[in-house]
Amino acid sequence: MTFKIRSAFALVACASIAVAQDAPAPDRQADVQLLRKQMLEMQASIQQMQTQHAREIEGLKAQVAAQQKALDDFQKTAGAAQSASTLMPPATESLFPTTDASVVAASPTAAAPDAIPTIDTSVVAGPTLGGPPITLAGGGKTYLNISLDVLINAAASTARDLEIIEVGDHDPLHRGFNARNTELVFDGAVDPYFEGFANIVFKLDPQNETSVEVEEAFAQTTGLPWNIQVKAGQFFSPFGRINTMHPHTWDFIDAPLVHGRLLGPDGLRGVGVQVSWIVPTPWYSQLLLAVQNGEGSTGFSFRNRGDGGTFAGRETIDRQLRGIQDFIFIPRWESAFAFGSTKTLLTGVSAAFGPNDTGANAHTQIYAVDAFYKWKPANAGGGWPYVKWQSEAMARRFEAGRGLDDSFAARETFNDWGAYSQVIWGFKTGWSAGVRGDYLHMSQSQITDDPERQSRWRLSADLTWFPSEFSKLRLQYNHDFLEASHFLGGRDVDSVFLQLEFALGAHGAHKF
Amino acid sequence: MKIRSIPIALAIASAFLPSAHAKLNVVATLPDYAAVAREIGGGKVEVTALAKPTEDPHFVDARPSFVVKLRTADVLIEGGAELEAGWLPPLLQNARNAKIERGKPGRVVASEGIRLLDVPATLSRAAGDVHASGNPHFMVDPIIAKAVAQHIAQAFAGLDPANAAGYQANYAKFEASIDAKLQDWGRALLPFKGQPLAAYHDSWVYFAHRFGFTIETFLEPKPGIPPSPSHLAEVIGRMKKEHVRAILVEPFQNRKIAEKVASSTGAHVVDAAQFPGAIPNTDGYVAHIDGLVARVVAALK
Repeated sequence: MTFKIRSAFALVACASIAVAQDAPAPDRQADVQLLRKQMLEMQASIQQMQTQHAREIEGLKAQVAAQQKALDDFQKTAGAAQSASTLMPPATESLFPTTDASVVAASPTAAAPDAIPTIDTSVVAGPTLGGPPITLAGGGKTYLNISLDVLINAAASTARDLEIIEVGDHDPLHRGFNARNTELVFDGAVDPYFEGFANIVFKLDPQNETSVEVEEAFAQTTGLPWNIQVKAGQFFSPFGRINTMHPHTWDFIDAPLVHGRLLGPDGLRGVGVQVSWIVPTPWYSQLLLAVQNGEGSTGFSFRNRGDGGTFAGRETIDRQLRGIQDFIFIPRWESAFAFGSTKTLLTGVSAAFGPNDTGANAHTQIYAVDAFYKWKPANAGGGWPYVKWQSEAMARRFEAGRGLDDSFAARETFNDWGAYSQVIWGFKTGWSAGVRGDYLHMSQSQITDDPERQSRWRLSADLTWFPSEFSKLRLQYNHDFLEASHFLGGRDVDSVFLQLEFALGAHGAHKF
Repeated sequence: MKIRSIPIALAIASAFLPSAHAKLNVVATLPDYAAVAREIGGGKVEVTALAKPTEDPHFVDARPSFVVKLRTADVLIEGGAELEAGWLPPLLQNARNAKIERGKPGRVVASEGIRLLDVPATLSRAAGDVHASGNPHFMVDPIIAKAVAQHIAQAFAGLDPANAAGYQANYAKFEASIDAKLQDWGRALLPFKGQPLAAYHDSWVYFAHRFGFTIETFLEPKPGIPPSPSHLAEVIGRMKKEHVRAILVEPFQNRKIAEKVASSTGAHVVDAAQFPGAIPNTDGYVAHIDGLVARVVAALK
């Protein structure tokens, strides 16, 4: 473990040295050359402008002369019946106008008869030779992109304790209306070295009180050498697939069981540093390593004090970081394979290692594999049609200690695991239908009466309508089956949810 | 032995050393920029287009394989007028390639220097998915394509000075061929000048502007909003009144809807594409516009 940490620090150090050394000598020379080049180009463009102006003046003179002549002709034949026909200058009696002063500043083909304009200053700002092109319009014109994304859910369920049935913190946790994910999103370039991102989530609880969550707030490097990228701040741990996605990009209203129960209601995220490296292979392959505090409810299976100081039935110990061994380490390897131009498979293996708060020497390990496959035909319009298949399997080894001051009766080791698999079919522009199967196995205990330690199944189906890219309406049905355990009876639950999403502000971009 | 091993050693060395004669690795977001880049680069560049010519350029998946292409690119050519806003940013965030960052010589933003049409005075998505910078479908105007080609030639020349003369010569050739072709296209479309056309999506304003059509009837009620029956009824009424004889439909749009409208108005459906290669035998830029003009003429005859 320490070796890993050392090498991670070494990587960061190397990267920062490389950045520092990158700047001075060759750049100045390049700058001088660039300046010289720009000067020369400017000279050239000024010359060109001069000749162009001269040509324009010539053209205008010619026009004035022609008009004068026409006027003279008109005056000469004034009163005569045939005057109308002579109004038209004979030179322009061709198929196409030879000049078009309203759109063409100076046409080199002006002399050629029958020519349609080949230059049009109404659409092309001018010769781009020399100097930077004139940007009249373009994306990325603001320092900060801001958008707001709101999820509103209506929930009906046969369960009165929907907060036990639904496992994610942004899921509809109460019967009736829920607004648990109003998200402000900020992003932009910090400077030439960093890009910054922040997702601030506002949640309303059943008492209609608002709580605020800094879901993500991080900076990442843009131009480190050797395909390396460093990210620092509060961010989603690079673990599996759905964990790194914001809830409004999910294909179902609620979190899969494994996500909510093994990683936590808020998923796995925290303050830390991540280093990633794109392996220089012909296919997409990336290695990532994140080091995070792993504290609190977003480090659910790690140093989490739990609800009112209790987790997995134990009174938790509250401790400061003792050393590097108390961080959580999250390595991930992901690869993607393109099958032709219409099919893509993205696969990944992830792990998370760290201590937990149920004992002085208790640890947690979580392992996962994930796969995502998408088919979209070559003539897709508006993003439709498509078929997406997404599956994740996770296993957690949780060493439950004896709690604060050895107050709990026994040490236990829980081997919990589960998986979900879902298929989404975008069958018609603006419409998609999905099915999902979910299973969670929690190892049995005769002494731990944690209500969340219940093995269970879930089947879900949903239908979504996207009136536009910026809104959606989703109807979802869940059937939950909770298996009986030592402390809890088995039961069936049926739930129906209706969700409205709307987005305002900057055009969102979608990761694959 | 010695003599034999020298070429082998050279071959091995050349495989690892960045050779001065290495081709420029060019990635274009869209196939039209790629087609022009191929004309300018000739044999000195290797060009890859990310979007497929037949797919909707607004909604391209940010496939991981694109990251691999962008990672090693020397040049990125993008439109920069929000057409790729939904998929290019995450690709570039992951590609971590300093050569193609905004402002670097390796980043060519095709809309720079172009006076975009239909720049909205006010921004509201109640008007559909409007592009704040103006209509981004500008490459179907050959005069604009020339300006983009010149921009690309300058970028190539700056990055690969050894072949600068070649790029300039290729640009001159491209310019001359477009200038000559403009006469043919203009002449072929002249008999129909001023006629109103209909289109599925508002992606033909530059084509209309160039060749003197008006294209103001769209099957989409608002950009990016799918056709509704009430809107189509209105469209049919207007098309009959204005004697609209052609509906431009792109490969990724719903041709059936256009056919229905065509059958009740007596108009023809024109398979029009924004991108070279979307329709067989239209791989180059000139062949692409050739095909487009021919199909419009055939429909209006």
